[in-house]
Amino acid sequence: MKYLIAEDEIDLQQSIVTYLQRDGNLCEVASNYEDTSEKVALYDYDVIILDINLISGSGLDILKSIKKEKKDVGVIIISANNSLTDKLEGLDLGADDYITKPFHLAELNARINAVLRRGKYGGNELIEFNELKINTRSRTAYVNGSAIALTKKEYDLLVFFVSNKGRVLSKEIIAEHLWGDDSDLLDNFDFIYVHINNLRKKLTAEGAKYIKTAYGSGYKFMED
Amino acid sequence: MKKKTRLIKKTSKTFLLTGLVLAILSSIALYFYTRNLLQAQEEESLYSTEARVVNALKNDKIVLSFPPLTEIIKVNQIRPEILKDTIIYDPSQDEMEVFRELKTFEKINGQTYQITVRYLVVESEDILIAIVFSNIAIFVLAFLFLFYFNTARNIRLWNPFFKNLEQMKKFSLSSNQELQLVDSDVLEFSELKEEILLLTSKVRNDYENLKQFTENVSHEMQTPLAIIQAKIDNIINEHSINNKQFEQISSIQKDIQRLKHLNQRINVLTKIDNNQFIKVEDVNITKLLEEKIENFKELEINYISLSSNNDLIASMDVYLADILINNLISNAIKHSPQEKKVSIIAENHTLVISNCGQKAIQHPERLFLRFYREVNSMQSSGLGLAILKKICDLYNFDLSYNFSESQHSFTVVFK
Repeated sequence: MKYLIAEDEIDLQQSIVTYLQRDGNLCEVASNYEDTSEKVALYDYDVIILDINLISGSGLDILKSIKKEKKDVGVIIISANNSLTDKLEGLDLGADDYITKPFHLAELNARINAVLRRGKYGGNELIEFNELKINTRSRTAYVNGSAIALTKKEYDLLVFFVSNKGRVLSKEIIAEHLWGDDSDLLDNFDFIYVHINNLRKKLTAEGAKYIKTAYGSGYKFMED
Repeated sequence: MKKKTRLIKKTSKTFLLTGLVLAILSSIALYFYTRNLLQAQEEESLYSTEARVVNALKNDKIVLSFPPLTEIIKVNQIRPEILKDTIIYDPSQDEMEVFRELKTFEKINGQTYQITVRYLVVESEDILIAIVFSNIAIFVLAFLFLFYFNTARNIRLWNPFFKNLEQMKKFSLSSNQELQLVDSDVLEFSELKEEILLLTSKVRNDYENLKQFTENVSHEMQTPLAIIQAKIDNIINEHSINNKQFEQISSIQKDIQRLKHLNQRINVLTKIDNNQFIKVEDVNITKLLEEKIENFKELEINYISLSSNNDLIASMDVYLADILINNLISNAIKHSPQEKKVSIIAENHTLVISNCGQKAIQHPERLFLRFYREVNSMQSSGLGLAILKKICDLYNFDLSYNFSESQHSFTVVFK
């Protein structure tokens, strides 16, 4: 996949590139408004990660021009402003998703994958990983063709794992993905073990042993 | 603190007191002055009567005694004259009366006489009393007139001051309404008005700046946080670290999360301050509660019970309603002891959320202050209840806390 990361904070921009490149994606970067406009006009991307507050202009203006030219590209907006109006404005203008700083790269990656899967932008609504198949439309998972019964959270967890395959996910990242802001209400993340263990048991029963423990308290979805 | 008196009342009181003191003092002075004057007059009259008697005696005229007014007695020896007040029986009045008495001894044509002349004091005392009374009457009348005149004048004179004072009482930082101050032809009041305007505009500016600053700080913090977060995510994946380092990095992630939530809450607070929630619609609080309780069940929080006989509807911003409910429930969850039970009653216009607790909160008056924590809890941003209060204030909802029967209860009355 080909991504454009339009972010004026070079450190953040490079970190995103590092994370996304691991899956063999091609990442181009733009650090200001002009640069971004130019690249958007000249090249085709699958997904553009667009910071609203670019140093020399607003990302929303770039979003407008993308939509005006009916470019077939997914747009995820990054904003430092956790404002509902900004969010609604961005989504109204045709952005596919909206993420607020600070965010986990795993979360961004999962959102990018979700945008791609909606099928509009050359992605596939079917996720495949060896013998594991996930139909994101019917929200069902299959191992070797036989469906496995997953709860809603287990399904979300599985998709999150597959989207971030090969990456270490801490309990904090997982909790925040599954429960958002409510996750700070929890005394501990014990109940995450329950969900992960259930999912792991169900997959292992079908021979898909991909959820590994990493560093004692983290998880990693990977082949042996 | 001393008891406060109204300005007009105070000046009137001083005026009346001064009047009273003046009336008393002047009456006393007048009394003594007139009395002395009258006494001198009486004495003069006694002496002249005596002189006439002596004269008549010298000319061998028969001088008759008119007791008690004049008495002439022949005596053997001369004594010094006596001038005094005396009480004697007056047959014409049939009672004891006070007389001024002059007793002289004169040797006339070889015969010594004791001549006594008297003057009925009652008459002069009546005059004295009449004078003092009219003095008091004049004083009282003059003062009453001056009092009403002055009070009316004072009220008119101070009017700009009172009006501006009322305006200042209405002053609120959060509202952008300018103070409607009245000008006055009194220099000091005019100056006061100018100073008030200057001061309020300065306070308002400072407040705006501070608000802007808070907003900016919370905004500017997001990007560095995002960089830290992203770098940490990469450290976990790019480098080989040991379990202990992973633990520490996870813990840093948790702290970043805390800062993120803090920022979000500061943001909500400033937005409420900035009146950015202007959309008001009928929100079904009961339905919202049911959804929230469902959501919390996913977090294995399944000890929340809701009792509602009819739908509770509130007119407010949907987003704020969500925050209100969320903060109330989160607060109840966070402060539940071992015995976990949160009960919610939503009926008519009242929402009550209760959770168990060992003892009442020590400083309920500080409960809704920013960053006030009764117990130092890692989970608490210290802003949840402050936001709650702010939302209730925004819509004039009544928010109260009480503790009874081992239950902390928060009550919101949606008006």
